[in-house]
Amino acid sequence: MAAPTWIRLPRATLILLLLALHLSLSVAAQFEGFDSDELPHATAADLASPDDDEEGLDLDVDLPAPPPISVSVSVSAPSPPVTTTTAANPNLNPTTPPNPTPSLDFWDEDEFEGIPVPEAPSSDASSTPAEFTPSDPSAADAAEAAPAPPRSPAELLRAFSIEIACVSFLICFLLNYFTGKKQNEAIALAWATKFATRDSIFDKNFSLLGTGDGKDTPLLLKEGQDVFKFYASGRRFCQGMLATMEMRARHDLLSKLLELVFPRKDTITFEVVMNEESMDHVMVAVARKKAAKTMQKEERDLQRFASVLPLAPAGKKWVADELAVVAESKEVAGDMISEAVLDQVLGEKAFEKLGKWFISLHFSDQLAGSYKKVLSFKFVLPDANNMAEMTKLVALVPFYIDLIGRYKLSSHARSKTDAARTKAAQEAFRELQGVRQETLLRKKAEKKKLMEEAEAKLSAEVLRKKEEKERNRQMKKGAPKVKMLRS
Amino acid sequence: MKEATTSGGPSAGANDPRQPTTARPYAPPKLSSQDLPVDYAGFLAVVFGVVGVMMHYKVCSWIAIIFCAQSLANMKNFENDLKQLSMAFMFAVMGLVTNYFGPPRPGSAKR
Repeated sequence: MAAPTWIRLPRATLILLLLALHLSLSVAAQFEGFDSDELPHATAADLASPDDDEEGLDLDVDLPAPPPISVSVSVSAPSPPVTTTTAANPNLNPTTPPNPTPSLDFWDEDEFEGIPVPEAPSSDASSTPAEFTPSDPSAADAAEAAPAPPRSPAELLRAFSIEIACVSFLICFLLNYFTGKKQNEAIALAWATKFATRDSIFDKNFSLLGTGDGKDTPLLLKEGQDVFKFYASGRRFCQGMLATMEMRARHDLLSKLLELVFPRKDTITFEVVMNEESMDHVMVAVARKKAAKTMQKEERDLQRFASVLPLAPAGKKWVADELAVVAESKEVAGDMISEAVLDQVLGEKAFEKLGKWFISLHFSDQLAGSYKKVLSFKFVLPDANNMAEMTKLVALVPFYIDLIGRYKLSSHARSKTDAARTKAAQEAFRELQGVRQETLLRKKAEKKKLMEEAEAKLSAEVLRKKEEKERNRQMKKGAPKVKMLRS
Repeated sequence: MKEATTSGGPSAGANDPRQPTTARPYAPPKLSSQDLPVDYAGFLAVVFGVVGVMMHYKVCSWIAIIFCAQSLANMKNFENDLKQLSMAFMFAVMGLVTNYFGPPRPGSAKR
């Protein structure tokens, strides 16, 4: 369910964040304790880990008077080198290194830690932020010297360049999200206003519009910021029609940048599911030449039944030169691409004007998928102000529903298409049978295995009894039947 | 116009193509989680987040956050995508936290 995941996730993030923070703090704390123990053994180690020393020192400085003594005791041995290297600004350094260990025996220099040079710890404290700046990879001394003068804005800018760049990109992303979302919605609404509201073409053709009960529900279904769906149902010859608008990802800044290299267009795809009895053996696809070839190779039904028609059927006007027709039978293709269609959309003259909005048509009664008899139209969606330009294309949808709904193949064409279909149907049936047999065999084998296991588990006694029973039964079967005569 | 010439042209009464009795309500197609298109943004967010945490690169953690934002913007199927997105986001945040609040690492790793 959605609800529990929602509740669980913020808690999970919170817990993880807390864990991460705790871990990081504990690790930091560990390092503090660590140096204090390790330092006496190697003076080289001090120079290597100046940060940790400072943190140890900070701890000392922050606490009130009594604790420092106790802390310094635990820190005892390492501290002299600690105080010498870190408390030292370059001036002090040359003087103190000469006597690291001997001081241990006589007095505890730590006791004087907090007192001498309070500037030293504070300068160390101020140097710690310097450690964090990414532009300061050099040794501790340089780091200490740098923060002394106030940091100019230019330096800060350079120091936090990554953060500034990323945060500003995120802000731009957020702004673009809202503007892009509005733009996409405007286009979808413009389309719906033109073609799906009262007295529009779809209202006149379908009784149920929208995805709800059609009374109060909105017409469009939004599936993501760039995908909108429009559903209509209740017409003769078809079960329903789904129009899917897939737009450019205007709401996503990264996709927009990618589109500079790979341009995309807003598209709308109409899918009409025809009734079983309303569609005869029609398999036709029309698209631009390259797209048609790809379709013929990729779509399973076209691959199996249809081929690209190289020439127009004799003597007829045909589609514009840019387009290619993929069909099973020339005759059916000719009937589908009627005069009216050629005049309005697909012919030479009409295509000059409407060509930029047309992508493809695909009618099939053997589609691979959940629905077999589907008409599919793919057009480019014009922008919000020019919706009227695709009126003729949208009008193709109800036109073809009726044309195909009423169409019956001639006997000549039918004989050809029938042969191919029956072969395909037989193959499908055989495959189904094969699968069914396989499952049956598998089940039988499993049952046998189970029975054998059960038998093996039974004790010897029970087995003997069973065998006796079996033998008796066999004998009864074999023995001659004795009929009792009543005399 | 086409509407006039074809017999399917709707006119009041006799030729109305609408059939309210055959209207079916919309049934959204069921997609298994495997069929969904690959969420590149989410995947990249996870990769960059992990790299940012392991290698202590701040840049990677920030890039992971940006990809998380993209994945969130493109989220279609709310429940399925949220899992990967939240995982990627947590990695990215963990990377940022360890980079900024964690123990400073000496040498080149500190950027």
